Amino acid sequence: MAGPADAFDDELLLNALADGELDAATALALERRLAADPGLAAAYDRICAVRERVAGASRPEVGRDFEARMAQLGGPVTARTQGTAGGVGVFAGWRRMAAAVVVTALLAGGLTHVLEVAPSGLSLDDAVAASHRRGLLATSPVDIASSDRHTVKPWLDAKLGISPPATDLASQGYPLVGGRVEVLGADTVPTLVYRHNEHLITLLAAPGAKGDRLPATGTAGGYNIVRWSAGGFSFWAVSDLEPAELNTFVSDYRGK
Amino acid sequence: MTSLAEAAQQRRLLAGRANQWRRMGDPERSGERFRTVVLPHLADALALARWLTGSRTDAEDVVQEACIRALAGIDGYDGRNARAWVLAIVRNTSFTWLAKHRPKSLVVVGDMAAIDELTQRHTDPTAHRLTPEAELIRKADALAVEAAIGALPHPLREVLVLRDVTGLSYKEIAQMLAIPMGTVMSRLARARAELAATLAEVP
Repeated sequence: MAGPADAFDDELLLNALADGELDAATALALERRLAADPGLAAAYDRICAVRERVAGASRPEVGRDFEARMAQLGGPVTARTQGTAGGVGVFAGWRRMAAAVVVTALLAGGLTHVLEVAPSGLSLDDAVAASHRRGLLATSPVDIASSDRHTVKPWLDAKLGISPPATDLASQGYPLVGGRVEVLGADTVPTLVYRHNEHLITLLAAPGAKGDRLPATGTAGGYNIVRWSAGGFSFWAVSDLEPAELNTFVSDYRGK
Repeated sequence: MTSLAEAAQQRRLLAGRANQWRRMGDPERSGERFRTVVLPHLADALALARWLTGSRTDAEDVVQEACIRALAGIDGYDGRNARAWVLAIVRNTSFTWLAKHRPKSLVVVGDMAAIDELTQRHTDPTAHRLTPEAELIRKADALAVEAAIGALPHPLREVLVLRDVTGLSYKEIAQMLAIPMGTVMSRLARARAELAATLAEVP
Protein backbone atom coordinates (compact mmCIF):
# COMPACT_ATOMS: atom_id res chain seq x y z
CA MET A 1 0.00 0.00 0.00
CA ALA A 2 1.32 3.44 -0.89
CA GLY A 3 2.28 5.75 1.95
CA PRO A 4 0.65 9.15 2.51
CA ALA A 5 3.41 11.00 0.61
CA ASP A 6 2.99 8.72 -2.43
CA ALA A 7 -0.77 9.12 -2.21
CA PHE A 8 -0.42 12.89 -2.37
CA ASP A 9 2.00 12.62 -5.31
CA ASP A 10 -0.60 10.50 -7.09
CA GLU A 11 -3.19 13.16 -6.33
CA LEU A 12 -0.96 15.80 -7.98
CA LEU A 13 -0.42 13.58 -11.03
CA LEU A 14 -4.14 12.86 -11.37
CA ASN A 15 -4.87 16.58 -11.28
CA ALA A 16 -2.17 17.25 -13.88
CA LEU A 17 -3.61 14.49 -16.08
CA ALA A 18 -7.09 16.06 -15.86
CA ASP A 19 -5.56 19.43 -16.81
CA GLY A 20 -3.66 18.02 -19.78
CA GLU A 21 -0.37 19.07 -18.19
CA LEU A 22 1.40 15.70 -18.29
CA ASP A 23 3.85 14.71 -20.97
CA ALA A 24 2.79 11.78 -23.14
CA ALA A 25 4.97 9.15 -21.43
CA THR A 26 3.83 10.04 -17.89
CA ALA A 27 0.22 10.28 -19.02
CA LEU A 28 0.42 6.85 -20.64
CA ALA A 29 1.90 5.25 -17.53
CA LEU A 30 -0.73 6.86 -15.32
CA GLU A 31 -3.59 5.86 -17.63
CA ARG A 32 -2.41 2.24 -17.43
CA ARG A 33 -2.44 2.43 -13.63
CA LEU A 34 -5.90 4.02 -13.72
CA ALA A 35 -7.23 1.14 -15.76
CA ALA A 36 -5.92 -1.36 -13.20
CA ASP A 37 -6.75 0.45 -9.95
CA PRO A 38 -10.41 1.26 -9.20
CA GLY A 39 -9.42 3.39 -6.18
CA LEU A 40 -7.21 5.56 -8.34
CA ALA A 41 -9.91 5.72 -11.02
CA ALA A 42 -12.46 6.90 -8.43
CA ALA A 43 -10.08 9.62 -7.26
CA TYR A 44 -9.55 10.70 -10.87
CA ASP A 45 -13.27 10.78 -11.56
CA ARG A 46 -13.78 12.89 -8.44
CA ILE A 47 -11.15 15.41 -9.65
CA CYS A 48 -12.78 15.58 -13.08
CA ALA A 49 -16.18 16.16 -11.50
CA VAL A 50 -14.87 19.05 -9.38
CA ARG A 51 -13.06 20.49 -12.38
CA GLU A 52 -16.25 20.46 -14.47
CA ARG A 53 -18.25 22.15 -11.74
CA VAL A 54 -15.71 24.94 -11.18
CA ALA A 55 -15.31 25.55 -14.90
CA GLY A 56 -19.09 25.65 -15.20
CA ALA A 57 -19.57 28.06 -12.30
CA SER A 58 -21.48 31.14 -13.33
CA ARG A 59 -19.38 33.99 -14.67
CA PRO A 60 -20.30 37.64 -14.31
CA GLU A 61 -21.59 39.10 -17.55
CA VAL A 62 -19.67 41.96 -19.10
CA GLY A 63 -22.32 44.68 -19.17
CA ARG A 64 -22.39 46.95 -22.22
CA ASP A 65 -22.12 50.03 -20.01
CA PHE A 66 -19.14 48.61 -18.19
CA GLU A 67 -17.39 47.61 -21.40
CA ALA A 68 -17.99 51.06 -22.90
CA ARG A 69 -16.66 52.71 -19.74
CA MET A 70 -13.50 50.61 -19.87
CA ALA A 71 -13.06 51.30 -23.59
CA GLN A 72 -13.22 55.04 -22.88
CA LEU A 73 -10.42 54.85 -20.33
CA GLY A 74 -8.09 54.78 -23.32
CA GLY A 75 -9.46 58.11 -24.49
CA PRO A 76 -12.12 58.76 -27.13
CA VAL A 77 -12.29 55.91 -29.61
CA THR A 78 -11.66 58.25 -32.54
CA ALA A 79 -9.45 61.27 -32.11
CA ARG A 80 -10.31 64.78 -33.24
CA THR A 81 -13.98 63.89 -33.35
CA GLN A 82 -16.42 66.75 -33.15
CA GLY A 83 -18.94 66.74 -30.38
CA THR A 84 -19.49 67.62 -26.76
CA ALA A 85 -18.10 65.86 -23.75
CA GLY A 86 -19.92 62.83 -22.39
CA GLY A 87 -20.35 59.76 -24.53
CA VAL A 88 -18.14 61.15 -27.27
CA GLY A 89 -16.05 57.99 -27.44
CA VAL A 90 -18.97 55.62 -27.81
CA PHE A 91 -20.67 57.89 -30.33
CA ALA A 92 -17.50 58.15 -32.38
CA GLY A 93 -17.16 54.37 -32.23
CA TRP A 94 -20.63 53.90 -33.61
CA ARG A 95 -20.01 56.43 -36.35
CA ARG A 96 -16.83 54.69 -37.32
CA MET A 97 -18.58 51.36 -37.43
CA ALA A 98 -21.39 52.91 -39.49
CA ALA A 99 -18.80 54.26 -41.94
CA ALA A 100 -17.23 50.81 -42.19
CA VAL A 101 -20.64 49.24 -42.84
CA VAL A 102 -21.38 51.76 -45.59
CA VAL A 103 -18.07 51.10 -47.30
CA THR A 104 -18.27 47.32 -47.02
CA ALA A 105 -21.83 47.50 -48.36
CA LEU A 106 -20.46 49.35 -51.38
CA LEU A 107 -17.85 46.66 -51.82
CA ALA A 108 -20.23 43.78 -51.33
CA GLY A 109 -21.43 43.62 -54.91
CA GLY A 110 -18.44 41.59 -55.97
CA LEU A 111 -16.58 40.43 -52.93
CA THR A 112 -13.94 38.60 -54.87
CA HIS A 113 -13.16 41.42 -57.27
CA VAL A 114 -12.29 44.00 -54.68
CA LEU A 115 -9.29 42.44 -53.04
CA GLU A 116 -7.03 45.20 -54.26
CA VAL A 117 -9.62 47.96 -54.35
CA ALA A 118 -9.18 50.40 -51.52
CA PRO A 119 -11.40 53.48 -51.87
CA SER A 120 -10.34 56.18 -49.41
CA GLY A 121 -7.65 53.87 -48.13
CA LEU A 122 -10.18 51.40 -46.76
CA SER A 123 -10.16 47.84 -48.01
CA LEU A 124 -11.94 44.62 -47.36
CA ASP A 125 -8.97 43.82 -45.13
CA ASP A 126 -10.23 46.45 -42.68
CA ALA A 127 -13.64 44.80 -42.59
CA VAL A 128 -11.97 41.43 -42.06
CA ALA A 129 -9.80 42.85 -39.26
CA ALA A 130 -12.93 44.39 -37.72
CA SER A 131 -14.67 41.01 -37.75
CA HIS A 132 -11.67 39.41 -36.01
CA ARG A 133 -11.75 42.16 -33.40
CA ARG A 134 -15.50 41.79 -32.87
CA GLY A 135 -14.86 38.09 -32.29
CA LEU A 136 -12.29 38.92 -29.61
CA LEU A 137 -14.60 41.44 -27.92
CA ALA A 138 -17.65 39.17 -27.90
CA THR A 139 -18.32 37.00 -24.87
CA SER A 140 -17.42 34.02 -27.04
CA PRO A 141 -15.51 34.20 -30.32
CA VAL A 142 -17.60 31.35 -31.72
CA ASP A 143 -21.31 30.53 -32.04
CA ILE A 144 -20.62 26.82 -32.19
CA ALA A 145 -17.79 25.82 -29.87
CA SER A 146 -16.28 22.52 -30.84
CA SER A 147 -12.87 21.17 -31.66
CA ASP A 148 -14.58 18.47 -33.74
CA ARG A 149 -14.73 19.35 -37.42
CA HIS A 150 -17.59 16.90 -37.81
CA THR A 151 -19.62 19.20 -35.56
CA VAL A 152 -18.54 22.59 -36.89
CA LYS A 153 -18.90 21.87 -40.63
CA PRO A 154 -22.47 20.51 -40.44
CA TRP A 155 -23.44 23.46 -38.22
CA LEU A 156 -22.22 25.95 -40.86
CA ASP A 157 -23.84 23.87 -43.60
CA ALA A 158 -27.14 23.97 -41.76
CA LYS A 159 -26.89 27.75 -41.27
CA LEU A 160 -25.60 28.84 -44.66
CA GLY A 161 -25.80 25.80 -46.91
CA ILE A 162 -22.06 26.06 -47.49
CA SER A 163 -18.92 25.64 -45.46
CA PRO A 164 -15.19 25.63 -46.07
CA PRO A 165 -13.02 22.61 -45.22
CA ALA A 166 -12.82 22.52 -41.40
CA THR A 167 -9.45 20.83 -41.27
CA ASP A 168 -8.35 19.74 -37.82
CA LEU A 169 -4.87 21.16 -37.23
CA ALA A 170 -4.54 20.31 -33.53
CA SER A 171 -1.50 18.12 -34.18
CA GLN A 172 0.23 21.05 -35.87
CA GLY A 173 -0.51 23.25 -32.85
CA TYR A 174 -3.59 25.00 -34.25
CA PRO A 175 -6.64 23.38 -32.62
CA LEU A 176 -10.07 24.25 -34.01
CA VAL A 177 -12.07 26.33 -31.51
CA GLY A 178 -15.35 26.49 -33.41
CA GLY A 179 -17.25 28.44 -36.03
CA ARG A 180 -19.48 31.44 -36.47
CA VAL A 181 -21.19 33.39 -39.21
CA GLU A 182 -19.74 36.76 -40.16
CA VAL A 183 -21.41 39.40 -42.30
CA LEU A 184 -19.18 41.16 -44.81
CA GLY A 185 -21.20 43.74 -46.63
CA ALA A 186 -24.40 41.95 -47.60
CA ASP A 187 -22.86 38.49 -47.62
CA THR A 188 -22.92 35.94 -44.86
CA VAL A 189 -19.52 34.36 -44.60
CA PRO A 190 -18.79 31.04 -42.90
CA THR A 191 -16.00 31.64 -40.40
CA LEU A 192 -13.77 29.20 -38.55
CA VAL A 193 -11.79 30.04 -35.43
CA TYR A 194 -8.51 28.34 -34.62
CA ARG A 195 -6.22 28.79 -31.64
CA HIS A 196 -2.45 28.88 -31.39
CA ASN A 197 -1.21 29.09 -27.79
CA GLU A 198 -3.25 32.02 -26.46
CA HIS A 199 -3.86 33.60 -29.86
CA LEU A 200 -7.01 33.22 -31.90
CA ILE A 201 -7.02 33.00 -35.68
CA THR A 202 -10.19 34.01 -37.49
CA LEU A 203 -10.53 32.30 -40.86
CA LEU A 204 -13.22 33.80 -43.09
CA ALA A 205 -14.16 31.88 -46.22
CA ALA A 206 -16.33 33.80 -48.69
CA PRO A 207 -17.84 31.54 -51.34
CA GLY A 208 -17.90 32.53 -54.99
CA ALA A 209 -14.19 32.87 -55.77
CA LYS A 210 -13.28 32.37 -59.40
CA GLY A 211 -9.92 30.73 -59.84
CA ASP A 212 -7.15 30.26 -57.32
CA ARG A 213 -4.83 32.88 -55.89
CA LEU A 214 -1.67 32.25 -53.92
CA PRO A 215 -1.51 33.59 -50.36
CA ALA A 216 -0.62 37.26 -49.98
CA THR A 217 0.07 38.93 -46.67
CA GLY A 218 -1.02 42.29 -45.35
CA THR A 219 -1.97 44.14 -42.20
CA ALA A 220 -5.10 45.96 -41.15
CA GLY A 221 -6.22 47.42 -37.85
CA GLY A 222 -3.05 46.16 -36.21
CA TYR A 223 -3.61 42.54 -37.21
CA ASN A 224 -1.77 40.41 -39.69
CA ILE A 225 -3.81 39.09 -42.58
CA VAL A 226 -3.16 36.40 -45.17
CA ARG A 227 -5.59 36.14 -48.09
CA TRP A 228 -5.84 33.58 -50.82
CA SER A 229 -8.41 31.81 -53.00
CA ALA A 230 -8.88 28.12 -53.52
CA GLY A 231 -11.66 25.65 -54.22
CA GLY A 232 -14.23 28.37 -54.87
CA PHE A 233 -13.59 30.24 -51.61
CA SER A 234 -11.82 33.52 -50.93
CA PHE A 235 -10.01 33.03 -47.63
CA TRP A 236 -8.79 35.56 -45.09
CA ALA A 237 -6.79 34.42 -42.08
CA VAL A 238 -6.50 37.22 -39.52
CA SER A 239 -4.73 37.16 -36.17
CA ASP A 240 -2.36 39.00 -33.87
CA LEU A 241 0.08 36.14 -34.41
CA GLU A 242 3.48 36.96 -35.87
CA PRO A 243 3.39 36.87 -39.71
CA ALA A 244 5.66 33.78 -39.78
CA GLU A 245 3.35 31.80 -37.48
CA LEU A 246 0.27 32.92 -39.39
CA ASN A 247 1.92 31.83 -42.65
CA THR A 248 2.67 28.43 -41.11
CA PHE A 249 -0.98 28.12 -40.14
CA VAL A 250 -2.07 29.03 -43.68
CA SER A 251 0.24 26.50 -45.31
CA ASP A 252 -0.92 23.82 -42.83
CA TYR A 253 -4.54 24.67 -43.56
CA ARG A 254 -3.94 24.56 -47.30
CA GLY A 255 -2.17 21.24 -46.78
CA LYS A 256 1.06 22.45 -48.36
CA MET B 1 -20.82 70.30 -41.12
CA THR B 2 -22.92 68.16 -43.44
CA SER B 3 -23.17 64.45 -42.88
CA LEU B 4 -21.43 63.79 -46.20
CA ALA B 5 -18.44 65.87 -45.18
CA GLU B 6 -18.43 64.08 -41.83
CA ALA B 7 -18.41 60.74 -43.58
CA ALA B 8 -15.49 61.88 -45.72
CA GLN B 9 -13.62 62.91 -42.60
CA GLN B 10 -14.37 59.56 -41.03
CA ARG B 11 -12.92 57.80 -44.05
CA ARG B 12 -9.75 59.89 -43.85
CA LEU B 13 -9.44 59.04 -40.17
CA LEU B 14 -9.89 55.35 -40.90
CA ALA B 15 -7.26 55.50 -43.61
CA GLY B 16 -4.84 57.06 -41.17
CA ARG B 17 -5.33 54.36 -38.54
CA ALA B 18 -2.66 52.06 -39.87
CA ASN B 19 -0.10 54.84 -39.51
CA GLN B 20 -1.31 55.79 -36.04
CA TRP B 21 -0.78 52.19 -35.04
CA ARG B 22 2.94 52.41 -35.59
CA ARG B 23 3.49 55.59 -33.57
CA MET B 24 5.17 54.89 -30.25
CA GLY B 25 4.45 56.63 -26.97
CA ASP B 26 1.49 58.52 -28.43
CA PRO B 27 -1.46 58.63 -25.97
CA GLU B 28 -3.90 57.94 -28.78
CA ARG B 29 -1.90 54.90 -29.81
CA SER B 30 -1.63 53.74 -26.19
CA GLY B 31 -5.39 54.06 -25.86
CA GLU B 32 -5.94 52.02 -29.00
CA ARG B 33 -3.44 49.38 -27.92
CA PHE B 34 -5.08 49.23 -24.49
CA ARG B 35 -8.43 48.52 -26.13
CA THR B 36 -6.98 45.85 -28.40
CA VAL B 37 -4.98 44.10 -25.68
CA VAL B 38 -7.21 44.46 -22.60
CA LEU B 39 -10.84 44.60 -23.74
CA PRO B 40 -10.95 41.07 -25.24
CA HIS B 41 -10.14 39.73 -21.76
CA LEU B 42 -12.71 41.71 -19.76
CA ALA B 43 -14.89 38.65 -19.22
CA ASP B 44 -12.01 36.62 -17.77
CA ALA B 45 -10.88 39.64 -15.76
CA LEU B 46 -14.34 40.03 -14.22
CA ALA B 47 -14.62 36.30 -13.51
CA LEU B 48 -11.26 36.27 -11.74
CA ALA B 49 -12.05 39.42 -9.75
CA ARG B 50 -15.49 38.06 -8.85
CA TRP B 51 -14.01 34.91 -7.31
CA LEU B 52 -11.16 36.73 -5.60
CA THR B 53 -13.34 39.44 -4.06
CA GLY B 54 -16.45 37.31 -3.57
CA SER B 55 -18.85 39.77 -5.18
CA ARG B 56 -19.83 40.92 -8.65
CA THR B 57 -20.05 44.59 -7.66
CA ASP B 58 -16.60 44.53 -6.10
CA ALA B 59 -15.34 42.75 -9.21
CA GLU B 60 -16.27 45.71 -11.42
CA ASP B 61 -14.46 48.11 -9.07
CA VAL B 62 -11.36 45.93 -9.12
CA VAL B 63 -11.40 45.47 -12.91
CA GLN B 64 -11.86 49.19 -13.45
CA GLU B 65 -8.85 49.87 -11.22
CA ALA B 66 -6.91 47.14 -13.06
CA CYS B 67 -7.80 48.69 -16.44
CA ILE B 68 -6.43 52.03 -15.28
CA ARG B 69 -3.21 50.30 -14.22
CA ALA B 70 -3.06 48.38 -17.52
CA LEU B 71 -3.44 51.59 -19.51
CA ALA B 72 -0.65 53.21 -17.52
CA GLY B 73 1.59 50.21 -18.16
CA ILE B 74 0.63 49.42 -21.75
CA ASP B 75 3.82 50.89 -23.23
CA GLY B 76 5.86 48.44 -21.17
CA TYR B 77 3.82 45.41 -22.21
CA ASP B 78 5.95 43.09 -24.35
CA GLY B 79 3.16 41.88 -26.60
CA ARG B 80 3.20 38.27 -25.43
CA ASN B 81 0.30 36.42 -23.82
CA ALA B 82 -2.13 39.30 -23.37
CA ARG B 83 -4.52 37.27 -21.23
CA ALA B 84 -1.89 36.29 -18.66
CA TRP B 85 -0.64 39.89 -18.59
CA VAL B 86 -4.15 41.29 -18.00
CA LEU B 87 -5.04 38.65 -15.41
CA ALA B 88 -1.79 39.27 -13.50
CA ILE B 89 -2.78 42.93 -13.19
CA VAL B 90 -6.28 41.98 -12.08
CA ARG B 91 -4.85 39.57 -9.53
CA ASN B 92 -2.47 42.15 -8.09
CA THR B 93 -5.18 44.79 -8.04
CA SER B 94 -7.54 42.38 -6.26
CA PHE B 95 -4.87 41.75 -3.68
CA THR B 96 -4.33 45.42 -2.82
CA TRP B 97 -8.08 46.03 -2.99
CA LEU B 98 -8.78 43.18 -0.57
CA ALA B 99 -5.99 44.30 1.76
CA LYS B 100 -7.67 47.70 1.91
CA HIS B 101 -11.35 46.73 2.01
CA ARG B 102 -11.54 43.12 3.24
CA PRO B 103 -8.31 42.47 5.16
CA LYS B 104 -9.83 39.50 7.00
CA SER B 105 -10.41 37.58 3.77
CA LEU B 106 -6.70 37.37 3.02
CA VAL B 107 -4.68 34.53 4.44
CA VAL B 108 -1.02 35.46 4.71
CA VAL B 109 1.62 33.01 3.54
CA GLY B 110 2.52 32.05 7.12
CA ASP B 111 -0.88 30.43 7.46
CA MET B 112 -0.25 28.00 4.63
CA ALA B 113 1.00 25.35 7.05
CA ALA B 114 -2.37 25.44 8.77
CA ILE B 115 -4.11 25.09 5.42
CA ASP B 116 -1.93 22.12 4.55
CA GLU B 117 -2.94 20.46 7.78
CA LEU B 118 -6.57 21.32 7.26
CA THR B 119 -6.71 19.70 3.84
CA GLN B 120 -4.37 16.77 4.41
CA ARG B 121 -7.26 14.62 5.57
CA HIS B 122 -8.85 14.73 2.11
CA THR B 123 -5.85 13.49 0.22
CA ASP B 124 -6.07 9.80 1.04
CA PRO B 125 -7.47 8.16 -2.10
CA THR B 126 -8.64 5.10 -0.15
CA ALA B 127 -11.22 7.32 1.54
CA HIS B 128 -13.05 7.70 -1.77
CA ARG B 129 -13.57 4.06 -2.55
CA LEU B 130 -16.78 3.52 -0.72
CA THR B 131 -18.88 6.46 -1.89
CA PRO B 132 -19.74 7.43 -5.45
CA GLU B 133 -18.44 10.90 -4.71
CA ALA B 134 -18.09 12.03 -8.30
CA GLU B 135 -21.81 11.37 -8.75
CA LEU B 136 -22.69 13.56 -5.76
CA ILE B 137 -20.33 16.30 -6.95
CA ARG B 138 -21.87 16.34 -10.42
CA LYS B 139 -25.36 16.58 -8.93
CA ALA B 140 -24.53 19.22 -6.32
CA ASP B 141 -26.55 22.43 -6.39
CA ALA B 142 -24.91 25.26 -8.36
CA LEU B 143 -25.21 27.59 -5.38
CA ALA B 144 -23.50 25.02 -3.20
CA VAL B 145 -20.63 24.90 -5.70
CA GLU B 146 -20.28 28.68 -5.63
CA ALA B 147 -20.43 28.76 -1.84
CA ALA B 148 -17.79 26.03 -1.61
CA ILE B 149 -15.43 27.91 -3.94
CA GLY B 150 -16.01 31.09 -1.95
CA ALA B 151 -15.22 29.29 1.31
CA LEU B 152 -11.77 28.15 0.17
CA PRO B 153 -8.76 29.88 1.73
CA HIS B 154 -7.57 32.68 -0.54
CA PRO B 155 -4.29 31.08 -1.78
CA LEU B 156 -6.13 27.89 -2.80
CA ARG B 157 -9.06 29.72 -4.39
CA GLU B 158 -6.71 31.93 -6.40
CA VAL B 159 -4.93 28.99 -8.04
CA LEU B 160 -8.18 27.08 -8.60
CA VAL B 161 -9.88 30.04 -10.32
CA LEU B 162 -6.84 30.90 -12.46
CA ARG B 163 -6.76 27.30 -13.67
CA ASP B 164 -10.42 26.28 -13.97
CA VAL B 165 -12.25 29.56 -14.58
CA THR B 166 -9.73 31.53 -16.64
CA GLY B 167 -7.93 28.48 -18.05
CA LEU B 168 -4.28 29.44 -17.44
CA SER B 169 -1.63 26.74 -17.58
CA TYR B 170 0.36 25.62 -14.52
CA LYS B 171 3.38 27.44 -15.89
CA GLU B 172 1.48 30.69 -16.41
CA ILE B 173 0.08 30.51 -12.87
CA ALA B 174 3.52 29.78 -11.39
CA GLN B 175 4.96 32.79 -13.22
CA MET B 176 2.10 35.07 -12.23
CA LEU B 177 2.20 34.19 -8.53
CA ALA B 178 6.00 33.81 -8.46
CA ILE B 179 5.73 30.38 -6.81
CA PRO B 180 7.23 27.04 -7.89
CA MET B 181 5.19 24.86 -10.23
CA GLY B 182 5.03 22.17 -7.50
CA THR B 183 3.30 24.66 -5.21
CA VAL B 184 0.76 25.45 -7.93
CA MET B 185 0.09 21.73 -8.27
CA SER B 186 -0.29 21.07 -4.55
CA ARG B 187 -2.52 24.10 -3.99
CA LEU B 188 -4.70 23.10 -6.93
CA ALA B 189 -4.94 19.50 -5.70
CA ARG B 190 -5.83 20.70 -2.22
CA ALA B 191 -8.41 23.17 -3.48
CA ARG B 192 -10.12 20.45 -5.51
CA ALA B 193 -9.91 17.93 -2.68
CA GLU B 194 -11.49 20.46 -0.34
CA LEU B 195 -14.32 21.13 -2.81
CA ALA B 196 -14.85 17.41 -3.38
CA ALA B 197 -15.13 16.80 0.36
CA THR B 198 -17.61 19.67 0.79
CA LEU B 199 -19.77 18.83 -2.23
CA ALA B 200 -19.82 15.07 -1.69
CA GLU B 201 -21.09 15.35 1.87
CA VAL B 202 -24.40 13.57 2.11
CA PRO B 203 -26.97 16.21 3.07
